[in-house]
Parts: sequence; structure tokens; C-alpha cells
Amino acid sequence: MNYKGRTVFTATAIAAVFAGLGIRLAFLHLQPSSDTLARIHSGRRLEQETRGSRGRILDREGQILALDIDAKHICADPKFILEHGDIQAVCEALSQHLTLDRDKIWKLLDHPDRQYVRIQKFAREQTVAPLRDLHLKGLIFEDASIREYPKGVLGAHVIGFVNYEGVGSAGIEQRMNSYLQGSAGLRISQKDGLRREIYSRRTVDIEPQAGADVHLTIDQQIQHFAEKALDDLSAKYHPQGAWAIVQNVRTGEILAMASLPTFNLNSFGSAPAEWMRNRAINYTYEPGSTMKAMIIASALDSGVVRSTDVFDCENGVWYYGGKALHDAHGEGRLSVADILKKSSNIGAAKIALRMGDEKVYQSLRNFGFGEQTGIELPGEDAGIVWPPDRWSKISITRLAMGHEVLVTSMQILSAISAIANDGIRMRPLIIHKVVDAKGDIILEPRPEELGRPIRPETAKLMRRLLARVTQPGGTGTKAALRGYLVAGKTGTAQKANLDEGGYYNHKYIASFIGFLPVENPVISIIVVADDPQGSHYGGTVCAPYFHDIADQTVRYLRIPPEGFPTEYISRLEQPPPGEEDIPE
Amino acid sequence: MRKKQTRKSRKTEVRIPFPMVLANILVFVAVFGLSYVWLCARSEMLGREIKRLETVQRDTRRRLISEQDRWANLLAPANFDRALKRYHLAMTLPDEHRIVRVRRRGDDTSAVALAAANRLHRTMNEL
Repeated sequence: MNYKGRTVFTATAIAAVFAGLGIRLAFLHLQPSSDTLARIHSGRRLEQETRGSRGRILDREGQILALDIDAKHICADPKFILEHGDIQAVCEALSQHLTLDRDKIWKLLDHPDRQYVRIQKFAREQTVAPLRDLHLKGLIFEDASIREYPKGVLGAHVIGFVNYEGVGSAGIEQRMNSYLQGSAGLRISQKDGLRREIYSRRTVDIEPQAGADVHLTIDQQIQHFAEKALDDLSAKYHPQGAWAIVQNVRTGEILAMASLPTFNLNSFGSAPAEWMRNRAINYTYEPGSTMKAMIIASALDSGVVRSTDVFDCENGVWYYGGKALHDAHGEGRLSVADILKKSSNIGAAKIALRMGDEKVYQSLRNFGFGEQTGIELPGEDAGIVWPPDRWSKISITRLAMGHEVLVTSMQILSAISAIANDGIRMRPLIIHKVVDAKGDIILEPRPEELGRPIRPETAKLMRRLLARVTQPGGTGTKAALRGYLVAGKTGTAQKANLDEGGYYNHKYIASFIGFLPVENPVISIIVVADDPQGSHYGGTVCAPYFHDIADQTVRYLRIPPEGFPTEYISRLEQPPPGEEDIPE
Repeated sequence: MRKKQTRKSRKTEVRIPFPMVLANILVFVAVFGLSYVWLCARSEMLGREIKRLETVQRDTRRRLISEQDRWANLLAPANFDRALKRYHLAMTLPDEHRIVRVRRRGDDTSAVALAAANRLHRTMNEL
């Protein structure tokens, strides 16, 4: 072939190639097949689902108790690292910054056939930042978020936690999950050759909605007072468990709810299930003498007895229905006021007998025993109050001293708060308000009256009678607070043996329940210890820690002291001179 | 009558020369094309700016949350206790003899009594 022929041939070949490309281009652009179109679209399509952050949990003062923070899943592309990167450097960096075993990382990365391995889930930003700065090839940082509890153990049982799927699994996190969880957003767009979004091709852009913030009635300072007091109690008496609640008697708001043993919310996975139990609402027990306050209040309210009526307390031993009933300290004749002050079982039993089965049962129901209080926390127990047709002959005498009835601490605190609140029983509130992402309040529970078990006059009288318990001669003197008149009641009950029936000989539930200031009550507090060692009296084990919580709380809430104890003592009766504090 | 008018209008009709029409069309197309290109570039630029601001917003939000977390942690009562212990600061409540108690009486309208009453009222309201 001569020169001209070669030229023509080459030109023809080039022209043919370009013509082919042109035809192909024309086909692609003018009449592409549906398969081709689908391939192009799927290759270009960018679909991102963005998760709305979970709402925060805050205390009544706006202190953050739980929030979502950004985190990363640290992943790697082993194939890329082995072909283009430096596996040595990657292993060194990961083991150094993530405190992981270098050999383990090497084993994970030594897979030329794999393009994705996850090295660590939910790594915090401060861990990721130095790794990112190293610009190591083949490392991938995937967006994630973790639930952070900046206060650690504070209010653990109330706040609860979310599981690894981001669903509330305990406490407020569980109960308010529908408010807290945000809604996911969606973005559908197209990406360029470098996998960057082409903004102008964005067709769907639904912003994720952040969850609502839940404000609790809890105050972190008062919660801390309660938890610290329980720590001290635990250190001294080594109980199996201890718990405390502080409530605003007027509104029913819970200011603190603490329970031991506790756990750190940021590492809840390592805590035994038993530690996660909120004993304040789901541990039922026989309350012991604290129940006398409710029985005597009902007896006074129904006019069955007067505070000055005198009962023979049989010097400490009384047989009824063929069974002996004992008092811790033998007493002779005591007025109703003194039966409460000295916590006489025999006196309380005789008062209950005078009331009769039906009235006793009705009074317990009126104070809310045997039903849930309705607090916005999961797992609340209702307790047990058997109806009179299931009682034995002696049941009424045992009920009067807080046996044969199962209650939660929340129930008994709610009942004592009713006495403090002029006989009005309020629903315990734990949710202050729920505020959505726009700042609108979407839920604001109002104080709710649950009933009026006693009249205001009876409540006033009971406040004064209960105030004598913390005065010299009473069983709860260690709860007395200088400058304030404290009303309270001790409780010491043998622990029921659920396995074998009957009671443990040397296991007790000690408790102290009370409110202050007596004349114008603001707060009520309960402190309970399960099987304390060394002592088992409510007045010895729990009253001092009631005092600690109350002392700090009244100062923190700036509750001014009112009146002086002598005013109240003088109205009822002066204690005998030289009378010593006696244990229950 | 109609024929006369038609004839007259034909005489007065101004004919625009073809090159001028073509030039106008070309100018219009060019302006339209340039506008389109400018708008494309502009929207592309705005898109990039929006993307950049989205990233800035995301980073700012991340930093805000991080700071909120740190601040909440700093304000934890347990951390206060630890800090007080670390610096050997003992904070105790004042002794009884150092406290001035203002007692409220029903008929007492002195300034201090009113202040005490107000404080009680405020506390109740806060609760």
C-alpha cells in the first residue's frame, strides 16, 4: 500500500472509531435502553438517611443529665491498606490510640480479600481526632452517636439508659422514649465521579427532627444530697440495699430519688441487673411502724379515737387471737399521741381493733396502698393489701403495725405527704415538662389530686403528733433538725422470708419517713435500709441520714426556719423532765 | 373600501432586513445562553456554599454538644466535691450561733419580717 493509501486507511479507521463512539453516544443520549438508564441512575443515586438526635434529659434547673454526642465507628479497608497503605503504621496508630492489642488489629487487617472491617464502635471524638490527623490510608470513620450521661451515677435509676439500638430501656429513657427519639431525615440526590453530592440534583431533602427535651422535677443538688447520705449509710451499716426519696408535699413533685446499689450510666452494660433495680418504686416490703401514722390518722379522722384517749399497752406483751404481740419497750397506759411517739405496737393494734376491719382496710386504700401511685417511671409495683375477707383474726392487729401489707417506699411517702399536705394526696410527678426542638412545650403535667384520705384538721393534728416523734422521748430524735420542727415516724420491720415463708430472725427493713417544717410543710423524705448490719432500728440507721438530707435541702431550697419546737410541745404536753432518747 | 386599505398598508409596511433579524436572534440566543450559564454557575456556587455551611453547621453543632457535655460534667455535684477535696477546701455550714434567724409574726410588718415572708413565698412558688 502506498503512502496515500495508508493515509486514507488510517483516516478511515480513526473516522470509524469516532463514528462508532458518536453513534454510541447518540444511542446513550437519545435512546438509551432501560437497563442502561437504570445502571446510570443507580450509580449516580445518593440516598442518605440521617438520624434525628435523641432529646436531652435535664433536671428542674436545666442541668443536662443525658444527651446525644457524636461519635465514630472506626473501620478499615484491609485490601486497600495491604495494596496501597502501610499496615505497620496503621496497626501501631490504632493500638496506641485505641489501647487495643496490636496483634489483634493485625489479624483483623490481614485479609486482602476484605474491604471492610470494624475496628472499634462508638469511639469518642477526642479518640478519633488524633487518628484522623495522621491521614492514614485505608481508615474509615463512620458517623454514629452515643448517649452520654455527664453526671455518671447521679440519678441513674431515674434517668435509665438506652440500648445499643438507641431505644430507651430503663427509667425515663424508656418511659419517655416516644418523646425523646427524633425522627429520621432523608436526602435523595446524585453524586459525581468523586462521590460528592451534586447539590443541584438534590430532589428530596427532609430534615431530621431532633427529639424533645424532657425536663425532670429532680434537682441534681438534692439528688446528690440523697445519694451522698445513702453512701454514708451504706458505709456504716452495709445494708443489702438503701434508697431515699425527697418529695415536694404540695405538688407531689419528686425532688430526688436515689437507690443503692447503683451503677454508672455510661457503662451500664457491665452492671448486674440487680443494681439497676429502682428500689424506691419496685421493692415492696412490710413497712413496719411507719404504717401507724396512717392508721392513727384514719382513726382520728373517723372520730374513733381522740389524741388524748388512753390505751393500756400491757407493759409490752399482749395476747390476742392466741398470739403474743410485743412492744420493744414495755409501756403501761399511753395516750394515742404517745402511742405514736413511742411507736407502741400494742397501742396501735388496739386502735385498729376499735376501728374495725372495714375501716382499717378502707383507710389503707384511701392512702393509696395496693395501687400504683402513677409516677411516670416504668416498673412501679402496686404492693399488696388483702381485703378483709382474706384476713385472719389477728391480721388487723398486724396491719396496724405495718405487717401483712406490702408497700413501696413511693406509696408510703405519698401517704405521709398527704398528711403534710392538709390531707390531700397528690400524684407523684417526675416529669416537669417536655419541650420540643422548636422550644414549644408539648407536655407539662400539672399537680393532680388523687384523693383526700383525711380532713385538713386531722392532718394538722397529725403533723403535730408526728413532730413529737423527733422530740426528746420519741423514737426519731436523730432526725431532729436544729431550727426546724420535723415530723416523722420510724419503721423497723422483720424481713419476710419469701423462700420458706415466715420472717427472718435477724434481717430487718429499717426506715424513717418525715416532713418539714411542721407548720408549713414543704418537703417530705423517706430513707430505707434493707438488712442493715450493726443496728436495725429505723431511728438509729435511717433517721440520721434523713437529718443529713433534710439539713442540706432546707438550706439549698432556702426554706426559712419557722417557729420553735417548744411552742408545739407546750400545746400538747411537755415531755417528762430527764426523759432520754429511746430507740424504737 | 377594504381593498383600498389593504393596498395602503402594504405600501407603508417596513421590512426589516434578514441579517438584522438573524443578528437579533443570535444576540438573544447568546444572552439567553450566557444567562443560563451564569445561572448555572451561580446555582452551582450557591450549592457549594450551602454544602459548606451545612458542614459548618454540623461541626458547630458537634462542638456545641461537646461543650455542653463537658460543662454538664464540670457542674456535676460529685465533681464539685472532688475539686473541693483536691484543693483542701472544707465548706461547712455555719454554726448555729452565727445564724441570724428572722422569725415571722402575724402582726409583724417590719422589713426583715416581710423579706422572710417573701422568701418563703418565693420558695414555695419555685417548688
